[in-house]
Amino acid sequence: MATGIEKAPPVPRSGAHTLIGTSIVIDGEISGDEDLVIQGTVKGKITLKESLFVESSGVIEADIETGNVEVSGQVTGNIVAREKVELKAECKVAGDIRSPRILIADGAVFKGSVDMDVKGK
Amino acid sequence: MAISEGTTIIGESFLVNGSLNGDEDLTVRGRIEGTLTLTKTLVVEPTGVVKAEVQVKSCVISGAVIGNLTATESVEITKEGRMIGDISAPRVIIVDGASFRGRIDMGEINVEGAERPALARASSRPALRPPPRAAIGRSEDDEEAEESAALAERASAAVKPPPVPVAMGAVKRKVIVRRK
Repeated sequence: MATGIEKAPPVPRSGAHTLIGTSIVIDGEISGDEDLVIQGTVKGKITLKESLFVESSGVIEADIETGNVEVSGQVTGNIVAREKVELKAECKVAGDIRSPRILIADGAVFKGSVDMDVKGK
Repeated sequence: MAISEGTTIIGESFLVNGSLNGDEDLTVRGRIEGTLTLTKTLVVEPTGVVKAEVQVKSCVISGAVIGNLTATESVEITKEGRMIGDISAPRVIIVDGASFRGRIDMGEINVEGAERPALARASSRPALRPPPRAAIGRSEDDEEAEESAALAERASAAVKPPPVPVAMGAVKRKVIVRRK
């Protein structure tokens, strides 16, 4: 786990206007129309039109509804993506995933059900 | 505005509803509703709206803040900033152009010893009396010498209170001067 000192990993993603830093804890709802990068902790609900990036220091205990999701951190909650869900090697995900495209990398830890039914939602 | 690494940014289209806690700087371009607690600086950019109970170290408001704001260091409302709510901070800066409604508490203030500036109003009030006769008389006499008239005018202008209500006598005299 990242401590407060070693924050700001070198990931200034282009096009990402919103960043939740490592020490930030949000308890509630986040909604928006832009890409969102999470390095901190979010509990509650995330609703986005674009992409969500959960970085390795990111911890999410929330239901997620977005276009794309890319998880390198921890997610506890259900994920619904209109396009794609990508579980990277280091991630830990517990919850159900519904999306037309789901990628699970070697090394990813996942517990839950997968639904690729395109006509669902 | 340069954004350093490790700064959290809430983008323009974002709405965060709930509580937000953190130990780093936060830049708000979108909306935050609920409670906001930071141990560093909060920057509300012109597009940002914060409707929350805010507790921070310091705060720069260029956008809108609705709610009570407690800062351990300082609060600054810039010329684009709007705020409704109470501020509690040892240093509060409100610049010209900022809008604010609420109360400010800067903590314990030592009022003793700090002398109130005396009201200088009475002494600075322009006299109702007409300008000295000498100036007027001279401008009346030396019609041909324009520079001397101008001088006199300048001299009288220095003494004359410009737009104050003038006594009746002064008005009459003025009329005479104009007739020449």
